[in-house]
Amino acid sequence: MNKLKIGVIFGSRSTEHDVSIITAIASIIKPINLTEEYEAVPIYIDKLGRWYCDPALADINLYTKDNIGNYLAKLRPVLLELNGGFNLIKPGLKDKKLKIDVIFPATHGTHGEDGELMGMLDLINVPYVGSEMPASVLSMDKSLAKIMAEFSGIPTSRFVFFYAKEFLNNQQAIMMRLKDLNFPLFVKPVHLGSSIAISRVTDNKALVNAIELAAHYDEKIIVEEAVNNLVEVTLPIMGNNELKPALLEQPLLKDEAFFDFNTKYMSGGKKGKNTKQGAQGYSKLPADLPKGLYKEAEEIALKVYRVLGLKGIARVDLLIDLKAKEVYFNEVNPLPGSLYAHNWQQAGTSSVSLISQLIKLAQERFEEKKELNTIFETNYLKQY
Amino acid sequence: MILSLLSIYAPSFPKNIIYMLQTCEYRPLPYLVWLWRTKDYSTVQHRQKLDRTNYAKALLMIIYVGIAVEILVGILMIIFGLADHIVGLWPFGAALIVIYPLIWPHLILIPLVLGNAYIVKPRQNQQIIASAKIFAKYPGVKIAVAGSYGKTSMKEVLKTVLQADRKVVATLANHNVPIEHAKLARNLDGQEDVLIIEYGEGEPGDVAKFCQVTHPNYGIITGLAPAHLDKYKTLKAAGDDIFSLASYLKNRHVYVNSESVAAKEYMKPQFIQYDEHGAGKLKVENLKISITSTKFKLVNNKQTINVNSGLIGRHQVGVLSVVVLIALELGLSAKQIENAIAKTKPFEHRMYPYELSGAWIIDDTYNGNIEGIKVGCQLLAELKAKRKVYVTPGLVDQGSETAAIHNQLGRYIASSKPDLVVLMNNSVTLYIKEGLIGAGYKGELRIETNPLNFYLNLEHFVASGDLVLMQNDWPDNYH
Repeated sequence: MNKLKIGVIFGSRSTEHDVSIITAIASIIKPINLTEEYEAVPIYIDKLGRWYCDPALADINLYTKDNIGNYLAKLRPVLLELNGGFNLIKPGLKDKKLKIDVIFPATHGTHGEDGELMGMLDLINVPYVGSEMPASVLSMDKSLAKIMAEFSGIPTSRFVFFYAKEFLNNQQAIMMRLKDLNFPLFVKPVHLGSSIAISRVTDNKALVNAIELAAHYDEKIIVEEAVNNLVEVTLPIMGNNELKPALLEQPLLKDEAFFDFNTKYMSGGKKGKNTKQGAQGYSKLPADLPKGLYKEAEEIALKVYRVLGLKGIARVDLLIDLKAKEVYFNEVNPLPGSLYAHNWQQAGTSSVSLISQLIKLAQERFEEKKELNTIFETNYLKQY
Repeated sequence: MILSLLSIYAPSFPKNIIYMLQTCEYRPLPYLVWLWRTKDYSTVQHRQKLDRTNYAKALLMIIYVGIAVEILVGILMIIFGLADHIVGLWPFGAALIVIYPLIWPHLILIPLVLGNAYIVKPRQNQQIIASAKIFAKYPGVKIAVAGSYGKTSMKEVLKTVLQADRKVVATLANHNVPIEHAKLARNLDGQEDVLIIEYGEGEPGDVAKFCQVTHPNYGIITGLAPAHLDKYKTLKAAGDDIFSLASYLKNRHVYVNSESVAAKEYMKPQFIQYDEHGAGKLKVENLKISITSTKFKLVNNKQTINVNSGLIGRHQVGVLSVVVLIALELGLSAKQIENAIAKTKPFEHRMYPYELSGAWIIDDTYNGNIEGIKVGCQLLAELKAKRKVYVTPGLVDQGSETAAIHNQLGRYIASSKPDLVVLMNNSVTLYIKEGLIGAGYKGELRIETNPLNFYLNLEHFVASGDLVLMQNDWPDNYH
């Protein structure tokens, strides 16, 4: 039986380049190659944006032992042929053409998860896993996602967003706009994930410093009010039309602390001590919430998924005021790191089953989209 | 295709040949069946690697030297043939070089067969004859454990319980052939109270011979099922052989598993029967089975014994009951028995439960018979789980009954109502599939082409709340 070729695109020009490598190799390529139906084709975009395709790129040792530079020096970047699907051309004495049947994006952050890649894949007309460009764009811009949520009656914490240039040109004006918000505040670059460059501040001086830090990473910044009596939870969700939630997961935070990149991926990860719970070893699974609140949080997360038009898989983060029993939408991640496979596993979906279902969802959506008419006959050109 | 053909010239080819001889326990016939059936010799050592015993090393040396000499002779023939214009010599030399991979896998059998016939066998026969004398003189209790399945588990449970108050020795693991019995006899120090001897039958007349050597005074027959039908040909032949143990004991002190349907026609009134309802006059009450334990009470008119064992499955109830019965007959107290039973736990690869990523796995991969499959499926049906998964490659050595037995196997699987059945793709897969379909199985079916890949990456296939039963595993020579 010929296996379907699943192109797993990872890396890319993003601050989350390294997280993407782990997602691709551990959570996508490995389980794909354990199936009888699919074969993974690793497609790596290096930090400069060059595309490579080689079976050895699925070996984690290449990256962890800093051998990737030397290895890539021996390879020639691949070319893309866009006519008739997604075709990779491996240059050589005689060019080799490799047709990819389904794309599995595994890029996090900019130039991938933010919708750019999805736009290209839509243009090529190839099935791919995950959300389409519009939903990815909305999700990866924390301000737009919040505006969409508010518009749909989903509560969010109070926020203000602005462009970095605005702040640099007229700091006073921005600070005036921020005056309405009550400390403590969170300052975030709107497009970045993995908690990069996020700060929690309690006074104006720290606020300015935090905005300056965020401005190094993104051109747009959001400042949000913190939620009191906070319990932070996250819910991975899968599906196109019929949605399947995994388990609400509760990151374990110290008082007054928050979840930065090091907490998320380093201190509790493979190099950390507590690796028993969850892939990154930092959470309570399922979240320890009263039954009613758990249900409400799950319903809000599902509503967010629908409102933003997400497809395939995503993870919705919520903030809960435990005393007031109020749930707020925080942000959404259209490609959860490592697919949150540990959570799905706990919810009863094995990693092989997870990627198989996601590929099937991608194919289903592709077939549905084929039904849409893209040809509209007019006399428009005849008038010229 | 071409690469597969060229695999006979790979440097690893001689090692693969000796590995397969070892896997076939140095039996020429299964080895030759594998040799002639295999098309690609490059991927032979899947499950294990060559165990470099002295014997294996000697054979490896013979095959390497033999091949080297043949190639050298071939080269010399080519040189002299071309230099001296001897007609036909160089083509013959070239042919010698080309065909060495066809010759040596066969020639290697000659030292093996000769060594076996003139050195190993006579030496073993001497040891077996000597052991017969030791066993005959031995004054203690000698318990023979025979049957088509469940012997090793029975022996281990019996040993665990009896050694609470007796000095007990038993044949090791599944070492159950005459030379292993002889080793047991050789190592006796005369202080043992009880000997437990497992009978690993393989062909007609085996059990009768074992009795003549070991002189048992107790016999347990764990059940009768199609096994080793390549030699026995029929189930009746296997039954006649196994029940020759009862004849030897003149039907006294014979304990028979009455859950074995095929054993029923051999049943005699003098036999003490055991099953899930009890053993002899001991009756089972309050039976509770879980993934980690089997608990019940054994009651007769004199006493009650609380059984709490780590062994799992309804089929273990009879085993535990008969062990309690024998222990009582040999004079152990109820307290001693209860404490000893509490120490019984599953043996690796035999209904061995363990947790993996929140799922429960029951490893029953040493189970290679249809009765074992049946009880495993009963257990799967009985236990609760979010998702039930059944995994098997099927059974080997089922002779002319292969199709019928695997059809039945498929029906047993279907009766346990798993959500997912994983079959390892091989010559019997189709028959199992037919059985599944015939029994109206509606769940998911997955055919695995790379069994080892599946077993080694099991954590990627299971999820929290799953219950996975894995029964039997085929060694490399069956693939």
